Amino acid sequence: MVMNKNIGLPPERKGAFWTTESTLAYFLVLPAIAVLVAFMFYPIVYVFLTSLYKTNRLGNLVKFIGTDNFETLFSDKEFWEVTIRSVIWTVLAVSAKTLAGLVIALLLNVDFKGRKLARTLVILPWASSVPISAMLWLWVYNYMFGLLNYTLEITGLWKNPPHWLAYPLSGFLANLYVDIWIGIPFMALVFLAGLQTIPKELYEAAEIDGAGSFTKFLLITLPQLGYVVFIVTLFSTIWTLAMFETAFIITQGGPMNSTHLFSTFTYQIGIALGRLGEGTAISLFMFPILIVLMYLELRYVRKGA
Amino acid sequence: MKKIGLIAITLSLIPLLFGTPVGAKKEVNFFLARYDGLRPEYYQDLNRAFSEANPDIDLKIIPVDWEVLHDKLVTAIAGGKPPDLSVIATRWLLEYLDMGIVEPIEKYLTKDLIANIEPAAMEARIKNVLYALPVAVGPRFLYYRSDIFKKHGIAGPPDTFEEMLSQAQKIHNPPDLYAVGMTGKKFHALTEYTYYIYENGGDFFEINPDGSYGKCRINDEAGVGALSFMNDLVNKYKVTQPGVTGYSQDEVQDLWASGKLGFILIGAYTDVVTRQRGATFEWDYALMPHFAGKDRHTLLITDSIMMFKSSKNKEAAAKFLEFFYQDEWRLGFDKQVGFPPVLKSVGKMPYFQAPIYRAMVNSMPGAKGWPLVAEWEECNDIIWNAIGATFLGQKTPQEALDEAAAEIDEIRRGE
Repeated sequence: MVMNKNIGLPPERKGAFWTTESTLAYFLVLPAIAVLVAFMFYPIVYVFLTSLYKTNRLGNLVKFIGTDNFETLFSDKEFWEVTIRSVIWTVLAVSAKTLAGLVIALLLNVDFKGRKLARTLVILPWASSVPISAMLWLWVYNYMFGLLNYTLEITGLWKNPPHWLAYPLSGFLANLYVDIWIGIPFMALVFLAGLQTIPKELYEAAEIDGAGSFTKFLLITLPQLGYVVFIVTLFSTIWTLAMFETAFIITQGGPMNSTHLFSTFTYQIGIALGRLGEGTAISLFMFPILIVLMYLELRYVRKGA
Repeated sequence: MKKIGLIAITLSLIPLLFGTPVGAKKEVNFFLARYDGLRPEYYQDLNRAFSEANPDIDLKIIPVDWEVLHDKLVTAIAGGKPPDLSVIATRWLLEYLDMGIVEPIEKYLTKDLIANIEPAAMEARIKNVLYALPVAVGPRFLYYRSDIFKKHGIAGPPDTFEEMLSQAQKIHNPPDLYAVGMTGKKFHALTEYTYYIYENGGDFFEINPDGSYGKCRINDEAGVGALSFMNDLVNKYKVTQPGVTGYSQDEVQDLWASGKLGFILIGAYTDVVTRQRGATFEWDYALMPHFAGKDRHTLLITDSIMMFKSSKNKEAAAKFLEFFYQDEWRLGFDKQVGFPPVLKSVGKMPYFQAPIYRAMVNSMPGAKGWPLVAEWEECNDIIWNAIGATFLGQKTPQEALDEAAAEIDEIRRGE
């Protein structure tokens, strides 16, 4: 007896190529695929090629030089300084955003008067455009006319505050603070959403057993939120490592290249100085790190699903 | 049938993604650098007037900040979509000639226009070929607070940097007034240091017998002396604004316009900017000081308009240049940006007989520009790093300039 393999499936339509549904589907998806290939795959392939070539200032591939661009980079002290700085930046920024986001989410999860307004205000930094926020903070940090120094002086907290953007360490911290300020709302919102999915019965049961606030947080909230925290922290790590606007607008990598991160350093070398081969080599250095992070992200998302 | 119809509609919509052709008009794109003092109404009116006079040409004037103009051009060139014309800092010309993208401009222009341009402004004429048309020429000079001088009984502006230091020490009164404005933040133009090195008898490169540039010499006695003096102003005598490494030239200009500085070394546009911002203090102009015993050589900056080889409408672009270089439009431009006129006919007008223009004219003898080398942007970057490292106390002037000179020589050797 021949089994009909197509039981339950719609009958395949016979007819001209153009009239089958799957062919139509391919046609409709074709423009999107073309855009993806043109604006995603082609640039990635070109970046790989560029890193292996000597280029002229127009970005044309002139001569195959193999790994010379990478060797030049790896022997450059400044590149390693940027690498270490980028790692420190990412660790500090993501830690601060996660911690502050969690605290704010816990506070916003409590029912109080004005909670809706508080939630709206918290989201504002994230809702604004990043370049606009960075320009705003550029003026806040201004030595003569900025709000920060003015506030420090008139409150007596600091009679002679420094020029925040004029020195390597304070410039780095100034950029870092802005990145944290912009990133906290997203973390807080996602954690808040996660908190609201935790069954209230768990807390009630814990209260009956005599658990205090801290115990409930440690033994219920954190484990229940663990998956969300991990995913969001990974997202934040990818975004933070690739951050460009904040450092570029506020300090442009200065003073004296002391606040450059991977992304701004790539721009400086590749675009500003016209050394496209080295610039692409820097961006490719980040590539494996980002690939690993994205793989972990996808793996855990699938696991969670 | 329905499916064929749907596919046909989808395919016919695709061209809309890429825009529709703009009729028969010739398109001319012009990157105009956003000069301080130049109002948007000026180039909007220019655009309108040219379009009315030339309905067959679709002119797009695209204003671009100086800070990003070089990078924007590099990106546009690399992307195969440069404009037809662009204002450039003439020091970038060698870089673009190296890329092979510059169209020699003289053959598209009338002899009358060329003859009406001040010869001293023709920095873009290299080996007798004119590659770009001068649009702005300006020597740098000294602005000083004449009201503060009167208050302290100082007779007149300093002739030497040593005198400037002495006067600075008298008038320095933080936080109300900082005597000397100093740029320490990397900027697209290597100002400040150039003033001091040139006025100390120094230069960036040795000149070979054939006139080409040789070894970098910023770390010789004149170069180190210039940076040492700048560093002394900042860190030893402390007569500048604090945190100099946080100030670009524009930001120092902001301090001047808000009345916070006693001296500033800068260009003509600052006069326009200061007036536009409604400053109520009194100021005056003087020649750039020089170091005692050294000849005076102020920095002369020229900007030019360059035509790109890839332009598909070169004649139309040239038509726009002929229009723009009429006295009426050049007068408006020069008045707003504050530079002396590049056109002889405009230079004779009464407006340009004012004291500030006399100061600029008097600054011209001995004035010189930055070296025209293809790698100037990289040299710029390296020297700024050296200056900043010195101001921050990370290196001595000699150390910083020795390293910078070595790096510059390496780059120019192509290593």
